[in-house]
Amino acid sequence: MQFHSFQTRLLVFVLGLLVLVQSSVFFAVNKANINNARVQIDEALEITAGVFKKSINDRTQRLLEKARLLSGDFAFKQAYATSEHGTILSALENHRIRIGSDWMMLISLTNNVIADTLHPDLHGVTFSLPELIKNVMESEYGETSSIEFVDGIPYQMVVVPLFTPDPSAWIIIGFVIDATFAAELQELTKSHVSIVSGRPGDSLSLVASTLANNLQTTLSNTLSAVSWEINKSIPLRMDSADYVSLVTPLWNDKDNSIIAVLQRSLDEAMQPYMRLQVILIVIFVSGLALSLVGGVLIARTVTRPVQILARHAHKIEEGDYTHYVAIKQKDELGELAESFNYMVKGLAERDRVRNLLGKVVSPAIAEELLSKEIKLGGEEREVTILFSDIRNFTTLSERQSPQRLLTLLNTYLTKIGEVVEANGGVVDKYIGDALMALFGAPLNHDDDATRAVNTAMGMHKTLGGLNVDFEQQGLPKLNIGIGINTSVVVVGNMGSNTRLNYTVIGDGVNLASRLEGLTKKYGVGVIVSESTKADTAGFLFRELDRVYVKGKTEAHTIFEPVAKEGELGHADLEALDRYHEALKQYREQNWDLARKHFLALQAKSPGDKIYQIYLGRIEKFIKAPPGSEWDGTFTHNEK
Amino acid sequence: MSKLQKWFLVIFVLGSSWISPLVNSATLVVSVVDDNDKKVRDAVVYAEAVKSEQVVDAENKKSIIDQRDKEFIEYVTPVRLGTAVYFPNNDNIRHHVYSFSPAKKFEIPLYAGTPADPIVFDKPGVAVLGCNIHDWMSAYVFVSKTPYFLVTDADGRATIKNLPSGDYDVQVWHPKLKGSGKATNQRISVGKDGSISLSFVVKLKRLWSPRRAPAMSVGGY
Repeated sequence: MQFHSFQTRLLVFVLGLLVLVQSSVFFAVNKANINNARVQIDEALEITAGVFKKSINDRTQRLLEKARLLSGDFAFKQAYATSEHGTILSALENHRIRIGSDWMMLISLTNNVIADTLHPDLHGVTFSLPELIKNVMESEYGETSSIEFVDGIPYQMVVVPLFTPDPSAWIIIGFVIDATFAAELQELTKSHVSIVSGRPGDSLSLVASTLANNLQTTLSNTLSAVSWEINKSIPLRMDSADYVSLVTPLWNDKDNSIIAVLQRSLDEAMQPYMRLQVILIVIFVSGLALSLVGGVLIARTVTRPVQILARHAHKIEEGDYTHYVAIKQKDELGELAESFNYMVKGLAERDRVRNLLGKVVSPAIAEELLSKEIKLGGEEREVTILFSDIRNFTTLSERQSPQRLLTLLNTYLTKIGEVVEANGGVVDKYIGDALMALFGAPLNHDDDATRAVNTAMGMHKTLGGLNVDFEQQGLPKLNIGIGINTSVVVVGNMGSNTRLNYTVIGDGVNLASRLEGLTKKYGVGVIVSESTKADTAGFLFRELDRVYVKGKTEAHTIFEPVAKEGELGHADLEALDRYHEALKQYREQNWDLARKHFLALQAKSPGDKIYQIYLGRIEKFIKAPPGSEWDGTFTHNEK
Repeated sequence: MSKLQKWFLVIFVLGSSWISPLVNSATLVVSVVDDNDKKVRDAVVYAEAVKSEQVVDAENKKSIIDQRDKEFIEYVTPVRLGTAVYFPNNDNIRHHVYSFSPAKKFEIPLYAGTPADPIVFDKPGVAVLGCNIHDWMSAYVFVSKTPYFLVTDADGRATIKNLPSGDYDVQVWHPKLKGSGKATNQRISVGKDGSISLSFVVKLKRLWSPRRAPAMSVGGY
């Protein structure tokens, strides 16, 4: 498929537009989706952070409630009142199991350890978390809660007083912060929960996490590497997956030494959008396919008729009018095809007419007739008219069968017609055995007269060849005479409105015909008028005579084209000069001198009829001189 | 007030007025404020004779600490060493009075009315009383070696009458007193009849106590 074809261009445009629009939509939607997902996760994480905080507080409250139960427990008070370490410790342990905590401690108001379930032997020493006691002393209800590390393990702990009924000691209850803790919070917050100890900028260590094991290490490393702020969501890339993460303090202590990292997988949040993306891609691809098929089909409805039309146009160019374009479309192309068929029909008609016309008239005339509006009337133009005729045709026709005669005539006319056309002339008409040719109408050349003379010479030459053929076929030899005249005549369409004829009329036409008639008398093949001779270049002429042609009052000098310049030999040129000298003496009525020349010429060319004619006239004029008024003109009384 | 209570009250009043007819006695007027110049009530003011004086055991001395509307009345009760204290329960529910204080450890398990046997406070010091089933109920029994003591009223005042001549160390105790009572010591000298005024500025600490349960409507569902 060529890129420049209509179909390709249409497809490139349609598909290009589709791809542009679809991909713009796709990218816009995709971008909006990702942004939307981020915003949603951000919002969700903010809410989650709130839920997280609330759940930590609730948990603390529950722990406090449990602790308060103990602080009011009379049996425990009694155990405490025994001041026996073992009794107090086992009562403490008993309570620890009751409420399901991980650690319990009893601290005196003077900050000494009374009992510690994690360290049963420890008592009477200073409590290791004085800050906690300080906090509880400053609190409103003698209660506090915190997250503290004991033996490197973080505990969420609450402190309440032991009332007997005055506060007499501090009860500390601790719940370990571990994977179970994180899992509980995950359930509440629907986010990954990781508990990390350490401050921003410090190296962080993971305490507990709901993340997969491999991600846990990644998290502390990643978080240590980036800068983050409390309660500000940041994207974290962990093991080639994006997590929107929010760091929130697990406990509102002063230095945020223990934090919770809440995370949501961007990929998981993107799941619905991924489905949308797949749908978009499916729509995109099917749209592309449909456009491709539709585009090809639509393009075909254009290109196929156009291709058919082009093929047919090519055939017409080759002159084949026989095909009919069969396009059954009801659109513009259908109309075009219909018009095309009409055009072909018209062209075929015209071509037929042209062929016929070219046969009836000369192709040049046919062209002239077809190219212009045909109307009666003509114009004056200088035209050289050539008449040729077969001598003694009547006699000839009597001896031949009409069929043979027609064959002979057709062969002859075809051949000499070709000579006319070869010289740029136009066969105006055939009149029986005669032919009338025009040079200068409808087409004119600068050298129309020369062309006419050339034609005449050519015709004789052609005839020479033809006669050899005719002789072989047992046909008679033909002898022709040609008259040529150049004159201003009327050229145009003549006849009636319904039937007309392109021809020339005028006195010049008649003269040409008369000159043709004279050839036989002078025994020459071609006679041209003075005007033709004047327009002709490159030929040597022999002045034949000055005559009054029948029906003409004007005298005409007539010439015979002898040969092309330079073709004659020295003897012939001398003879021509002598002839013209003889003619001069004849016209000056120097009969004897003239006779002497003509006789000398005749002696060399006895067959030349012109010498005989002048010798005959000289004999007559010697007997009856024409008088001093005679200008040398001869009057022909017969046609 | 029941007949029995009235009877106790009479005994108490008679007992306290026994020493009044002594000659050469003074009246000690004490006012107690905290460091915010706020009048301190329920502060026990007691005067001990500087010269070692034989401790006179308060034979047959009796006192009561009432329980009314799930509170002890009074909040602070100073008694002479050896005083028998009755704990009449005036509520229609039972109480379970206890003390884990070294001055007097005792327990009267869930009871109604007035137990037949009073609790005799035979060691000087402070006994903190509580009720096992009502965490917020608390009261203090100040067991005094000296017969010269009183508790301040709402104006932070206490007036000890008939203080015999001699030198006395006057001290203040309060449940929220920061440090020991000795720090508040003021020595006075009582010569002839008259009146001595003393002012105490005491530092009080925060004292947490269990919050009281909201009142339940009796006979409700």
